[in-house]
Amino acid sequence: MENLLVLPIVIPLVTAGFCLLASRRIRLQRSLSLFGMVALTIATLALFDAVRSEGILVIQAGAWPAPYGITLVADRLSAMMLLLSAIAGLAVTAYAGWSVGERRERFHFYPLLHVLLLGISGSFLTGDLFNLYVCFEVMLMASFVLLCLGGERAQLEGGVKYVILNLISSAIFLTATGLLYGAVGTLNMADLSVRIAQYENREVINSLAMLFLVAFGLKAALFPFAFWLPASYHTPPFAVSAIFAGLLTKVGVYALLRVFTMLFVGDPDFTHTVIGILAAASMVFGALAALSQKDIRRVFAFQIMSTVGFMALGIALGTPLAIAAVVFYLAQDVILKCNLFMLGGVADKLRGSGNLDKLGGFWKTKPFFSILFLISLLTLAGVPPLPGFWPKLALLRSTIETGEGVLVAAVVLAAFLTLFSSIRIWSGGIWRDAPPPDLEPTDLAEREKDARWMMVPAAGLSGLLLAYALAAGPVFDYAEAAADQLLNPQVYVQAVLGEGN
Amino acid sequence: MFAILATLALAAFLAPSLTRWAGRRCGWILALAPGAALAYLVSRLPAVIDGETFDATVSWVPALDVSLDLRLDGLSMVFGLLITAMGVATMIYAAAYIGDDQRLGRLNATLLAFMLAMLGVVLADDVITLFVAWELTGITSYLLIGYDNHKFQARRAALQALLVTGLGGLVLLVGLTMLSWIAGTTQMSAMSAAAGSVQGSPLYGVVLAMVLVGAFTKSAQFPFHFWLPGAMAAPTPVSAFLHSATMVKAGVYLLARMQPVLGGTEAWHTTLGVVGATTMLLGAVMAFPQRDLKKILAYTTVSALGMLTMLIGIGTSAALVAAMAYVVVHALYKGPLFHVAGIIDHETGTRELSSLGGLRRTMPITAAIAAMAALSMAAVPPLLGAYAKQLVHAAEGEATAAAGYIYWTALATGIVTTSVAVMLAVLPFWRAGRETPKQPHEAPISLWLGAGLLATLALLLGPVAGTTFRPLVDAAARVAGASPSELHEETSLGLASTSHAAEPASAGALEGAADQAHADADHGAEHGEHGSGTLLKLVTIATGVLLVWRRDALLAAVAPVGGLARFGPEAVYRLSVIGLKSFSGVLTRFIQNGYLRSYIFVVLLATIVLAGYPLFSDRAPLPPLAVLDIRLYEGLIVMAMLMATLFATGTDSRLAAVVALGLIGIGVAINFMIMGGPDLAMTQLAIETLSVLLFVFILHRLPRFEHFTSLAERRRDLVLSLMVGAFFTSLVWGIATEGGESALSPYFAEHSLSEGKGHNVVNVILVDFRGLDTMGEITVLAVAALGVFGLMRLNLDKEKKNGKVA
Amino acid sequence: MARWPEMESVILSRATRLMMPVLIVFSVFLLLRGHNAPGGGFVGGLIASTAFALLAISDSVDVARQTLRIEPRRVMGFGLLVALSAGLIGLLSGGSFFEGVWPGIKLPVIGKLGTPMLFDIGVFFVVVGFTLTVVFTLLTEED
Repeated sequence: MENLLVLPIVIPLVTAGFCLLASRRIRLQRSLSLFGMVALTIATLALFDAVRSEGILVIQAGAWPAPYGITLVADRLSAMMLLLSAIAGLAVTAYAGWSVGERRERFHFYPLLHVLLLGISGSFLTGDLFNLYVCFEVMLMASFVLLCLGGERAQLEGGVKYVILNLISSAIFLTATGLLYGAVGTLNMADLSVRIAQYENREVINSLAMLFLVAFGLKAALFPFAFWLPASYHTPPFAVSAIFAGLLTKVGVYALLRVFTMLFVGDPDFTHTVIGILAAASMVFGALAALSQKDIRRVFAFQIMSTVGFMALGIALGTPLAIAAVVFYLAQDVILKCNLFMLGGVADKLRGSGNLDKLGGFWKTKPFFSILFLISLLTLAGVPPLPGFWPKLALLRSTIETGEGVLVAAVVLAAFLTLFSSIRIWSGGIWRDAPPPDLEPTDLAEREKDARWMMVPAAGLSGLLLAYALAAGPVFDYAEAAADQLLNPQVYVQAVLGEGN
Repeated sequence: MFAILATLALAAFLAPSLTRWAGRRCGWILALAPGAALAYLVSRLPAVIDGETFDATVSWVPALDVSLDLRLDGLSMVFGLLITAMGVATMIYAAAYIGDDQRLGRLNATLLAFMLAMLGVVLADDVITLFVAWELTGITSYLLIGYDNHKFQARRAALQALLVTGLGGLVLLVGLTMLSWIAGTTQMSAMSAAAGSVQGSPLYGVVLAMVLVGAFTKSAQFPFHFWLPGAMAAPTPVSAFLHSATMVKAGVYLLARMQPVLGGTEAWHTTLGVVGATTMLLGAVMAFPQRDLKKILAYTTVSALGMLTMLIGIGTSAALVAAMAYVVVHALYKGPLFHVAGIIDHETGTRELSSLGGLRRTMPITAAIAAMAALSMAAVPPLLGAYAKQLVHAAEGEATAAAGYIYWTALATGIVTTSVAVMLAVLPFWRAGRETPKQPHEAPISLWLGAGLLATLALLLGPVAGTTFRPLVDAAARVAGASPSELHEETSLGLASTSHAAEPASAGALEGAADQAHADADHGAEHGEHGSGTLLKLVTIATGVLLVWRRDALLAAVAPVGGLARFGPEAVYRLSVIGLKSFSGVLTRFIQNGYLRSYIFVVLLATIVLAGYPLFSDRAPLPPLAVLDIRLYEGLIVMAMLMATLFATGTDSRLAAVVALGLIGIGVAINFMIMGGPDLAMTQLAIETLSVLLFVFILHRLPRFEHFTSLAERRRDLVLSLMVGAFFTSLVWGIATEGGESALSPYFAEHSLSEGKGHNVVNVILVDFRGLDTMGEITVLAVAALGVFGLMRLNLDKEKKNGKVA
Repeated sequence: MARWPEMESVILSRATRLMMPVLIVFSVFLLLRGHNAPGGGFVGGLIASTAFALLAISDSVDVARQTLRIEPRRVMGFGLLVALSAGLIGLLSGGSFFEGVWPGIKLPVIGKLGTPMLFDIGVFFVVVGFTLTVVFTLLTEED
């Protein structure tokens, strides 16, 4: 069973390698890619099932005992994130063939996509802080190239901001890791959890905790480190934005969740308060900024920031209910954000623009598409009983229980603003009548055909969102069990380090 | 109970295809779904009147203590009957009204989904289930108001309704969450037992305020009333159903439901009394000058909702009975009146009051329905409206808080309501004929059947109200907190003495006010005597008719006051929305300003503030730093690296900067050498050489180096960089002073040869101990190469310009 | 090649052709002995690619490409798969992922053969592919 752990790393890497070997043959690469993603989905599903039934799975790479080698670990949170990444990857692969264009495909779109998945899967699997850094680098490099692939002016402008700010995050992450190693002498996260608790100088640990907060907060797009996201997400092809939106910030949130439930838990009055403040600022600013955007992807970009704020709030509160809310949030948000960008891509395809002023007229001519969009927008807005509602409810309840009126107000305000900006997209982008697009009839027919195929994965993800709504109970039970694992790291520590600890 | 919800859900799901299949007859088929629900409710009616309740529960999200708890009691029964009966009428009417429109299927589906949600609201026992259904009514209402989605007005009205009720809903959610937290249960039926602890809690005021905001926004109470007239952008069947009979009463329903838990306090009586009375009068007064039939109806709905809120605020048994009675009566006359307005619009092509007249000849059935409904509205005996109005009058006399205000607003409202009833039922039909855009015909049966049945019901029930209608109303009022003994006494004594029998409902909470209530009740009794009551009624009707007769003159006289609307709540709403959007724009442009250097500045500043705070805050002075043992040549290397760094940041020549960076790299390599890592040193040197070479390859492609920042900005940046440097240095120094032991190095040294089978520890680390890291890093390399290749070779902008297909 | 006219000298070209085999042999030597002495796949790969890079500079990118025969990007793909297969062999032979498998063969100079060496070979190819992809791309003028 443990060997299942290597598959989320091996499958994308093998697929990327073969796609590279087949570098001239696009059709072959498409099939290879799809095949790889299906295999990854099946493998992560098996892993998910194994973790659910057998508990935390661990494998020591190279058979070196922890903490000396690199440990791969999957608990409920990791297993869930792996599965979600595979699903998002599968959807985007199916989508990409109709949307990114052959030129980009020819320039190694597929190998890059799989390497991105490799970095993401690795981040969720690794139990080693330095290896996490390596995985982040894999992700960063792959995402940067995907972002800029095509070389359009806007892409490069966004790409530069993206890569430089993320390199700052990497530098801080690496420095902090080095310093932490210098202080406690280990890189294995389970071991770190034990040793940090024993380390006497709390101020140094707090300072390092803040460095990790900045490094991961930047990846997660937490205020005020989120500049790179709205600067870049609207520039690449929609398939690229979709996989980014679904997964990249979530890796940051995952990392925050890991370190602030396992490593830096000694002084929550300081660390978690800071997270709470940043979270509230993200929630409100992101939702507010989304209101004044014209480009549909900029709207979503700021809404990502707001969503990340909600998740960070859960981390800051740190109660079982709040952490479960974060897990549930992650569970639906990967699918949701990916889907929103994919649907935005369909709209863009049909109208030749992603600007809200040029969209519209879909309700009359494309009811099915409109309804798919409505499902996602209402999920985003947190309208019950769609899955976006439950984590918000749980967070609201946890916030109320802390008695922090300001945070409650921030949650309500952000939720309201999110509702407003989501509905704005519906009203202006779907409902409203729009003048016919400025496209050649033959081109338009071609686009209609592509759009139909692009809607297939979007429909699949929308179906998943509805499934979440129906299965909110079981999903929340799962999230609660995952939160339980996170809040009781000794189980994780024991699984990694063995019985002695 | 779940079966009826499932039936509606299924019907909603199938509605689009069914509509396509059945065409215009679809209304009759789809009406079966609410019809089935109605039949179910009727079958339970006798038991519910006897005080039985029916419960059903299904677990939903156990981790959040949320379950689908349904409970059918008197209160849910009244609203449930209303929803399903009106639902049947609406489905038949809507299909006929809309006719052949490709969106009819979606409209039907949304209407059925709304019915489902609305039934969910009134059947829910769990607060979260209630909220879920509550929000669904809001969303379906949004979609229905914006049915004419191509019209800006419709979209704006829909948004307005959604935002007002949406914000209210969120506040309500907070209130309900706090309430269930304090009460220790999420079941509303169990909360009344905890009323004492809820009302004694320091959070009672907050909870009350939040629940009231939720209810007031939904039920269009002042100052949130403005969305309701706007919602008239919806097709008439929708207005009749949602924005008159059902959804807007959800707030009233919630107030009634919460009365036993939150009611009975001074705050409750005063807030509901004043807000309700104000809304009641305002609605009536605003209805009077309207020209559009639907607008008139909308404002009278606002008025009626105000009255209901006021009655629940009064909170005595009699008031609760009156409220419940009026809920039904209002639906029975307002629904038909809306349908009539729709028929007129449909058949004549206009809803402008001034262009309508003489329709009794061409549309006799419609005229008769309108007359019956309007008589009920004007509380003319023997219609059911008169019965309800009597109850209301009696209850108004029992107000303990703001009694005078309630008395006078009620009187004024009565007059204006009468005139509005005349405007609606008399003017279009009975005055001289006028030219309309379309030649009027009598409407088909599918358009008038529902309205006719409802209006006839009001007529038939009127004379026998005490025996047929009253038991149901009593059952509902009991749930809302009316005491059974009083109700019994009152019913047996008959209507004339209603006010004598009244007692404050929540006796426990009202002890202090009890005496006052008695005094007021006596006072009310004097007014309530048969003789003076009838006289007052006649005067009211006469004044009302007079107002209509002199309407134009009156409106001209008060026209200047209309300008006040510019400062009304709707204006506040509009300004807030505009303000919010522009604030968003300004703030976003300030923060997300597009300048990378500003982003970097903020990120670094935030970093040292956050990470520096624990080190330099007062609570923990930094431990004394060790004096490090540095050799001379080490010092020299470090000095050289520092100089190179300074040079690299200062120079304007990119090439020079690259060379300086190369020097720093060589310094690092020498350090590796000193620390005993020749492999690392060798690799570092090779990398430095390679990167300098690669830089040289690309430098000539870059544009000329330019300064974009002012000197002051660069000074600011210098200060920040120095601070960042100082922070990291002190952190490193601090940790070096503490001197932690590495657990890994000794292990690697020991096991490299024995198990890693290699003498070169560094290599064994790279390919074995931490092979996975290396795997990752070579992947990064591969991707970097693909990046260079892709970025250098693929330029879609250029390809587009050159005409190649992207 | 317009940017480097001064380098198109016959001497450099000749020298490169002579140096190439030496460099390649040396790089393989560094690669193989890396487990026990300074060296390894990374440095080895850099040296090997230097050979082709020199050829590209002194002669032309086309000549270097022809000499290499394989598209450098495919070399990277190959390298990645080789390195990964070293990890998988450990797993498939009943051990852990990336666990070293040593069949017990010992060669002079090189030492014991095992999967870590196979891994290093993968690294070698990736580095060669990387460097040459970059160098060839940068040296070829855009059209």
